[in-house]
Amino acid sequence: MIHVLNKAIRKNMAGYLFMLPLILGIAVFSIYPMISAFILSLHRSASGSGGDWVGFANYRYVMDDPAFWKSLYNTVYMGVLSVITGVGFSFILATVINNLLSTRVKNLFKAIFFLPNVVSAVATSIVFTFLFYPSNEGLLNFAAGLFGIEPIGWFTNPTYAPLSIVLMNLWAALGYNTIIFIAGLQGVPKDLYEAAEVDGATPLRKWFYITIPYMRSIFVFMIIMGVINSMKRFTDVWLIGGTAGNPGESLMTSVLYIYRNAFVSSQMGVASAASYLLFVFIMLLTLAMLMFNRKKDRLD
Amino acid sequence: MSTGFVKRRGTLSGRKRTMDKIMIALLAVGSLVMIVPFAWMVITSFDWAARIRIPFPPRIWPLDPSIKPYEAAFMNVPLMKYILNSVLVAIGVILVSLFSALLSGYALSKMNAKGSNVVLVLALSTMMIPFEITMIPQYLFFSDMHLTDSYLAFYLPALNYAFGTFLAKGIFDQLPGSLREAGLIDGAGEYRIFRAIFLPLCLPIVATLIVLQFLAVWNDLLWPLLILNTPDKYTIQQGLAMFTYNRGTGKLPSITMAATTVSLVPVVVLYIFLQRYVVESVATTGIKQ
Repeated sequence: MIHVLNKAIRKNMAGYLFMLPLILGIAVFSIYPMISAFILSLHRSASGSGGDWVGFANYRYVMDDPAFWKSLYNTVYMGVLSVITGVGFSFILATVINNLLSTRVKNLFKAIFFLPNVVSAVATSIVFTFLFYPSNEGLLNFAAGLFGIEPIGWFTNPTYAPLSIVLMNLWAALGYNTIIFIAGLQGVPKDLYEAAEVDGATPLRKWFYITIPYMRSIFVFMIIMGVINSMKRFTDVWLIGGTAGNPGESLMTSVLYIYRNAFVSSQMGVASAASYLLFVFIMLLTLAMLMFNRKKDRLD
Repeated sequence: MSTGFVKRRGTLSGRKRTMDKIMIALLAVGSLVMIVPFAWMVITSFDWAARIRIPFPPRIWPLDPSIKPYEAAFMNVPLMKYILNSVLVAIGVILVSLFSALLSGYALSKMNAKGSNVVLVLALSTMMIPFEITMIPQYLFFSDMHLTDSYLAFYLPALNYAFGTFLAKGIFDQLPGSLREAGLIDGAGEYRIFRAIFLPLCLPIVATLIVLQFLAVWNDLLWPLLILNTPDKYTIQQGLAMFTYNRGTGKLPSITMAATTVSLVPVVVLYIFLQRYVVESVATTGIKQ
């Protein structure tokens, strides 16, 4: 009996040992921080250790803080625009590239459009602050000037700054989505197109009635990933607008709000409460999108 | 009849070919837009005339071609030091995360230890938690252990690389379990079987994970910003960010562009040599780090 039990433990032991690094990693760097952040959010704490128990006062503080709502609004505003333009343009781009006749030309364009993706957000932001310079010395304003458009304060005017971030993000992320779409397009069964061709369908109709419905799961995946990624926006807005989210707080995002509270104002409790609220918001968004997708699935 | 049919097909493919040329022309214009920021960066980085002011009107060749901007950049920013630091961080993170991901992926796929499912579910659900949500406790954890300014703050969290675990598990799932049983019958230990039989069969996924992790570590800013305070320890992104942040963005065009270009050399070289590989890894994994 003991022998059998021993054998069972030993049989499993190797498996546990193999999983130990991952289990340790999850416990210490995922589960513990989630619990710790919640406890922290219930304390008035400047340094993290200790502090007075304040219940949900930090949550109330954050909910009453106009800057929090402003930051959430900015994040969602830039996120929605980024996802719509990013997914839309990259899908069109993917269709065009995928229909090219020569594989070598295809690969060349894939490589070019993907290139910005390996560039860091830091480098991208630095280069674009020059290209988007507010006077006509900036390349974009110079180009616009050729069409008689007055120089625009791309990153200095609160109305344009979020749009400029979206534009910059489009440049940076376009190729990534395109590559995934191309991979997806190659998975659409050829005989569907052939059958449609026999019925005399135009390329545009085939695109609308075969390609797009067939790619729906990829669209959903991309939109969800896009939304989650936009909710984490920090590096570019921090470099361009500083911790104040300039100009005029138009680039204050949720993560920047958390960062500012935690590491500039040393309000760890408040920042943790904001983190949790952001987490709940992201989860609700993801769930809503998944449920919407399932509902559509059932309708089809 | 038959000649008419052939002719019709001929004109169709002719129309297709014209369409193809139009599309290539459109894509070429689009490619130009993608390339312009790079081109502007490199051209300006060699233009000593642009050390104070942005070159105006824009020019496609430096007014005063010189490598002085690079000399100035290396003099003002310890770029080599930062690059070396980033390489150190990247190597450590890659080693730790691959060690954890491959072992756990193998165990989850082949060893069927009791409770494996719990680990699988935990890994899946914690993978959905964005780093930004847990960064404060993680920062406090390392700060309490006096490990700020230490690269251990990068290496230790690398143990939690659930994405790699899933990718590895997917590959091991495709390999027959009979390989392991045969090894066990021959009296080989579990680790030996993993190393000698399975690991060599999943080298492509190892390479993919290395590329993805390298790009992720190299390009990250937020975590280094929290953890590293001493300029000596800065990663390349942090060094570059601090260089521009401290004097306001949009200043010193040619020197800033020289520093930025230097920071891009490793990833662009990696991309040029492993281009198809990087692109394929995105297409197959579909998840950005």
